[in-house]
Amino acid sequence: MTKQEKLELLRELCLEFGPTGAEERVRELICKKLGDVECKTDRLGNLIVRVPNEGAPKMMISAHMDEVGFIINEITDDGYIKFANLGGIDPRVLCGKHVTVEGKNGLIPGVIASKAIHHQSREEEKKLTPIKNMYIDIGARDKADAEGMTELANTATFDSEFVIFGENGDFIKSKALDDRLGCAVMIDVLKRLGENNYFDLYFCFTVREEIGISGARTVAQTIDPDLSIVLESTAVADLPDVPEPRRVAKLGDGGAISLRDNSTVYDREFVRAALDIAEKNGIAAQIKKYVSGGNDAGSIHKSVDGVRCLAISVPSRYIHSPASVISVSDYLSISDLVLAIIENYKE
Amino acid sequence: MELKELIISISSLMSVSGHEGYSEKELNDIIGGEFDESFRDHVGNRFFVKRCGRENAPKILIDTHLDEIGLMVTEIKDGGFITVAPVGGVDPKIMQASDVTIYGKEKIFGVVGSTPPHLRRPDEGKTLKPITELLIDTGYSKDKLSELIRIGTPVGFAPKYSELANGKIAGKSFDDKACAACAVSGISRVAREDLAGDVYLMLSSREEVGSPGGAAVGAHNVDPDYAMVIDVNLGKTPDTPKNETVEMGGGASFTICPVTDRKMTKMLIDEAKEKEIKTQICVTGGSTGTNTPAVNLAKEGIPTVDVGLPLKSMHTCSEVLELADAESVSALVALFISSKKIAEVFSR
Amino acid sequence: MLDIFKKIAAAQGVTGNENDTAGVIAELMSQYTDDISIDNLGNLIAVKKGTGEAPQRIMLCAHMDEIGFMVTYIEKNGFLRIAPIGGIDYCSIAYTRVRSERGVRGIVAPEAKVKAADFRADNFFIDIGAKSEKEAARRVKIGDTFRFDSDIVKLMGTRVYGHPIDDRIGCAVMVDIARRLDKVELKDDIYYVFSVQEEVGLRGSKTAAYAIEPDIALAFDVTGTGDVPGDTPMACEIGGGAAIKIKDSSVICDPTLVDELISVAKENKIKHQLEVLLYGGTDTASMQMSRAGSRAGALSVPARYIHSANEMIDMSDAEACAALAAEFIKGQSK
Repeated sequence: MTKQEKLELLRELCLEFGPTGAEERVRELICKKLGDVECKTDRLGNLIVRVPNEGAPKMMISAHMDEVGFIINEITDDGYIKFANLGGIDPRVLCGKHVTVEGKNGLIPGVIASKAIHHQSREEEKKLTPIKNMYIDIGARDKADAEGMTELANTATFDSEFVIFGENGDFIKSKALDDRLGCAVMIDVLKRLGENNYFDLYFCFTVREEIGISGARTVAQTIDPDLSIVLESTAVADLPDVPEPRRVAKLGDGGAISLRDNSTVYDREFVRAALDIAEKNGIAAQIKKYVSGGNDAGSIHKSVDGVRCLAISVPSRYIHSPASVISVSDYLSISDLVLAIIENYKE
Repeated sequence: MELKELIISISSLMSVSGHEGYSEKELNDIIGGEFDESFRDHVGNRFFVKRCGRENAPKILIDTHLDEIGLMVTEIKDGGFITVAPVGGVDPKIMQASDVTIYGKEKIFGVVGSTPPHLRRPDEGKTLKPITELLIDTGYSKDKLSELIRIGTPVGFAPKYSELANGKIAGKSFDDKACAACAVSGISRVAREDLAGDVYLMLSSREEVGSPGGAAVGAHNVDPDYAMVIDVNLGKTPDTPKNETVEMGGGASFTICPVTDRKMTKMLIDEAKEKEIKTQICVTGGSTGTNTPAVNLAKEGIPTVDVGLPLKSMHTCSEVLELADAESVSALVALFISSKKIAEVFSR
Repeated sequence: MLDIFKKIAAAQGVTGNENDTAGVIAELMSQYTDDISIDNLGNLIAVKKGTGEAPQRIMLCAHMDEIGFMVTYIEKNGFLRIAPIGGIDYCSIAYTRVRSERGVRGIVAPEAKVKAADFRADNFFIDIGAKSEKEAARRVKIGDTFRFDSDIVKLMGTRVYGHPIDDRIGCAVMVDIARRLDKVELKDDIYYVFSVQEEVGLRGSKTAAYAIEPDIALAFDVTGTGDVPGDTPMACEIGGGAAIKIKDSSVICDPTLVDELISVAKENKIKHQLEVLLYGGTDTASMQMSRAGSRAGALSVPARYIHSANEMIDMSDAEACAALAAEFIKGQSK
């Protein structure tokens, strides 16, 4: 794929609707993008593509399809929608945002509303609005009208543009970069992969990462891999107002390889090998310099008799918001690095 | 142009308070064709005149403010980040993770930074950062950015519009440019010979930052016989008091209070009833919170009616209006400028 | 300019009582202008007539009044109860030396045991050392104004401190502009307005602007900075040059005028900075929205500790303001 095609692929994946538990649309899109490659969907909805090498060590490469979003927990008498979060979302990024709601017949637009500044007291003006005081407005006249359009337990997510921006178009702003970027990388790697690979490869597009009760666990239990690479997003804060030790990683310096996070202590040998391969092949990569977050490796490394794990994350500012930002070059170099590891790593 | 299209195209224009001149050409292209002449004054008010063709005709002023709330650059930082100050009543709650456009020598896309839950420190769990402490991410180097923008460069929220159910649309800056669109549409409905006088549409400046805003100066300039001020009015939502809001879908609202002209308001309500234009009444004990007092107090005093377009989520990037209400406002403008009865009573 | 500034700052001028200052300035301005008058509110207006056939009216404005106190009551034991005039922050003025319009010296102080958070006019008084009401009443009348007894003093380099810098420095800048434009032939009419009652709500400039109906209006005042330890960030510092105002909480300056001022500063290599002030108000606002409106802007002298008895500025910034305004007017009016 050309750079342009890779960007287009990422754009389509990011804009697709897929909050945790409602990943069908994303899965269908990925299948379409994979073309005639044989893919299998398991009982939880994980999508698995095997590139077999019978008897060889098994390597599982995974990225999650779901994104943070919302689930409808009440439709009010006035026809507004109350909601709970799916995944960790800071209430500060919600007020006034456009959203897409799962309707009875397809997706419908809405906006997250709360009390207008004109009606807020002095005290309220300074405080953040809790999610319980917000509601989604889909334009319904009353409860019956709203119930004609959508229903309890349907999901919703942000409706936000995919924008390539910055001085030289070096950056991307979008929703759901966490973790459609990982999905895009896997599709790209699958297309670039040669024949006769050393490993028995399993590319897994997983469900339900954002709520921690992860689909990756059952995949790992079924495959029973020897090694696993988790492709993720990591929250970084390479911002002028953050002290250096808390910046995590820097946009543009390549994929961030984790030593440990809140869910996993990564395999030291695998981490070292990955960094070596990056250096030998002239691919940008960096070490994640702060302990934060967690990902599917948390479930994978503990499954069956244990799996040696590596996590490569795209450094991302403002994740879990409608406007996360990543660097275009990091996207491309992570893809190169994953391919290089598959081709060069020997146990 | 369809009213909906007109609302969206005018609302999308950049017109942060004090910088209403920025989109002058685009605005002229969109609405200039409906008018005989246009001019502007020292403080950014813009006037579009449609003449009735009779000499010594009364002057009818329609005011809607052109400016919108926004931001202004206060510092350019390393790594292409900027800090900003609010212009007008920007709610800090809507800032984080919003898309913005910085209107320097080039238009630059920016995104307002937010703190992901992963990196949130325990002590910032319940606080709201003031607007002046937020960083906007541009993806430029500081040097290049400094060539294109400076302290004081205006920053606006990026336009985005969604169509909701029941003819509702959501987007930015319907306050008050949707009303400008209704006024233009209303004026274009009336043939020149049916006008009750010369119609001055004033797209006034600085309403969101001033007390008074540009409208006071503009009304002084035009010195009309009588006037209509149109602004958005707070639409009813579950968390607001019923008697301080108006009904969505309830039609154009009339504010009745000590600064609005009761007689003219009554006459217009009666005529609207005859024409089956949907209207509703909103009562306040003090002023209107719009340009009405500014216009009303110009020169020797100008009888003014205050008309509102119901709007939910005011001052956000997802203000919600209902097209049927906009149609009522448009029809009401047409009625007002063609009413011979009102002209008879209120022309000097 | 420092000598002139000291002279202007030494004159009495608590809001409503600006005549003394007006007298000093009138004397300084008479050599540079064609006509000087005082209007109904007390604004001093000096005019230099232009030679053009259709002259524009350019109004320059700095306010003469200063914050202070007014005596409202004399206690039995000789203490004076006071009302504030203008924006007084009691924390920054507690235990400051003050002096009345009749020359009586004293100290402004809070009642004993009042915590700083509870400071307000009601619990402050002036102590002039009087033993009794009778003794105090001999030297002080109800309604007398007190100002800070704090001369303008030179510090290191070009920095000075004292009171009132807000806004006698603006007045001094305008006198210096008049000096710079002396003998320069201009086609426009220049109105030098030294306004009254700014500190209580931009009142004097409002009526002056109504009378003059300017096409262009420029205010000269002080502005806050972000350059002392612990300050809220603001890209403005003393010694950083003339501050071209873009916004304060009362006004957004005319953007085209701001651009013109920036380019004049650049062409003439005059040190300047841009000011976005998140609080405060200036005469700019009242001039902009008077009658049919004007293109209004302001040049500010950055100052620390505004509205304390020891405001501090760098005189080089005031020089830069005068130079920039003079070049701007020449450019407009040649």
